[in-house]
Amino acid sequence: MSGSRSKSIVLWTLVTIALVTLSAPTIVVLGASFTGGNIITFPPDGLSLRWYARISQAADLRNAFLRTLQVATVCTMVAIPVGTLAGIALAKYAVRFEKTIQIYLLLPFTIPLIGSGIGLMLIFGNAGILGQLWPVGIACCVINLPFMIWAVTASATGLDPDLELAAANCGAPPLQVFFSVTLPAVMPGVITGSLLMFILALNEFLVSLLLVDARIVTLPVLIYNSIRSIITPDLAAISVVFIACSGVAVFLLDRLVGLDIFLKSK
Amino acid sequence: MRAARTAYPLTWRIMDALEGVAAAIWPARFRRATPYLMLLPAVLLVGLLVLGLIQIADASLRTLDTTTFQFSDDYSTANFRRALTEPLFLVVAQRSLVAALIVTAVTLVFAFPYAYLMVRTRSPGLRKFLLIALFLPFFIGQVVRAYGWLIILGNQGMVNEALGLVGVAPMRLIYNYPAVLFGLVQYMLPFAVLMLAPALTAIPEELEAAAGSLGANWVRTFIHVVLPLARPGFIGAGVVVLTLSLTDFAVPAILGGGSHDFIANAIYDQFFRTSDQGLGAMLALMLVALGSILVGLVFALFGAGTLAMGRSRV
Repeated sequence: MSGSRSKSIVLWTLVTIALVTLSAPTIVVLGASFTGGNIITFPPDGLSLRWYARISQAADLRNAFLRTLQVATVCTMVAIPVGTLAGIALAKYAVRFEKTIQIYLLLPFTIPLIGSGIGLMLIFGNAGILGQLWPVGIACCVINLPFMIWAVTASATGLDPDLELAAANCGAPPLQVFFSVTLPAVMPGVITGSLLMFILALNEFLVSLLLVDARIVTLPVLIYNSIRSIITPDLAAISVVFIACSGVAVFLLDRLVGLDIFLKSK
Repeated sequence: MRAARTAYPLTWRIMDALEGVAAAIWPARFRRATPYLMLLPAVLLVGLLVLGLIQIADASLRTLDTTTFQFSDDYSTANFRRALTEPLFLVVAQRSLVAALIVTAVTLVFAFPYAYLMVRTRSPGLRKFLLIALFLPFFIGQVVRAYGWLIILGNQGMVNEALGLVGVAPMRLIYNYPAVLFGLVQYMLPFAVLMLAPALTAIPEELEAAAGSLGANWVRTFIHVVLPLARPGFIGAGVVVLTLSLTDFAVPAILGGGSHDFIANAIYDQFFRTSDQGLGAMLALMLVALGSILVGLVFALFGAGTLAMGRSRV
């Protein structure tokens, strides 16, 4: 980066404010989860792991977390084939009505979440499948699907179509071309997309809130319901579960494809 | 002597069988339709949302009979008129729109330098740090982040306790409009930076150097070179932040404490508190329309920016 001192001062001031704002809730939740007192105070009443011991005993929390994992798994398992195929199709072929299809596939982003959630709630209600977990996973998949398609198209544009032709020329039938040439080429996109889908489904709140009932409540909804009453440190300790998951996702993303992938221009 | 066919590795035989099945269901003469077949599952999945919208539209035209708690069989526009005339909804709609505009402006002001520094820095370590600081909160749900702000800003929160130590009376820092705006900006920053960064990467650094060598200082270089070229990024980021904050539920619910509801909260209340599904559906439909009009307006005026999917057009 080149430029004068005033430029660095202005840039760094704004970036520092942004950094503090971004990190403050995470750091505070982490700190609060280790507090020794019964309520969260500042300065804290000493350090302890008692809230972690408390939440590891609570069956409702553990079940809610397992349900959330299940939702995220369904979401990712559906998103991988659907999003990969659509992404490759959009990136590789001159599809008729391409613009229209693109706008249509962006619907999950342009329809507000509350609209999507209520629409799905009405459909699933009519179909009599409300109150089960897998529809929640499908719902999370639908509302975040553009992320998966994006990730795949971004890496598919780097694929040279001549490679596929060369493979076919050497006698590879269509499926073999797909599995040995096309799919490995878009793998970084598939990995990025599925990690995004998993972590977003893990955190999905509003659509979960609309689609679950008291028996199958997911962890974000459970936290939301508990926030309303009183702020206790056990809530902070549960929240750390999400911070840990986020940390693992960032680590995996960086290891498998590199975070820099998000800086690349299309 | 040729080996028997059974001597082929198992994977080969499986692949051959699969190729055979594929060729039988989808012969080569269907080749031209292959991309449409690949798009079909995604189109069907998103079709669920379209079905949902149709359901909402149907429900929105039925009025609730408050004596029997039954919905009318015939359609009427009564819900539409109620949604437009009840002062509460106008207040809520105005509050959400103003908030969305403010949040978008503030978020872009902070997202641009963040993205710029992240893209332009020579230090890989700093770049990685900025990326991690961005992704960690991005991957932590809204509820947990809002909970963090409650601990910091709450009536018995850290800020107030710290102020108490130096003898300042506690202040009410949450359950007000600025708290909601602040929470939204924090939630939106990662989205905005991630939409801006690719657009900034696409700007050759030499252009800035060239502007500098022609005598422009950094402010003029930004205004005349970097910002105009980053337009696709600003459009993408702006649209995402505008629509997401206009329709947000969790931040107004948690940091607004029920007295600073947005449209989404009003819709939720109609469904689950008042149980007037018809009016709630009408409000949801109007929100969808409002969001689509805003997105359409921006796309019509400026193009799809970094939001475009599919083949890159040069």
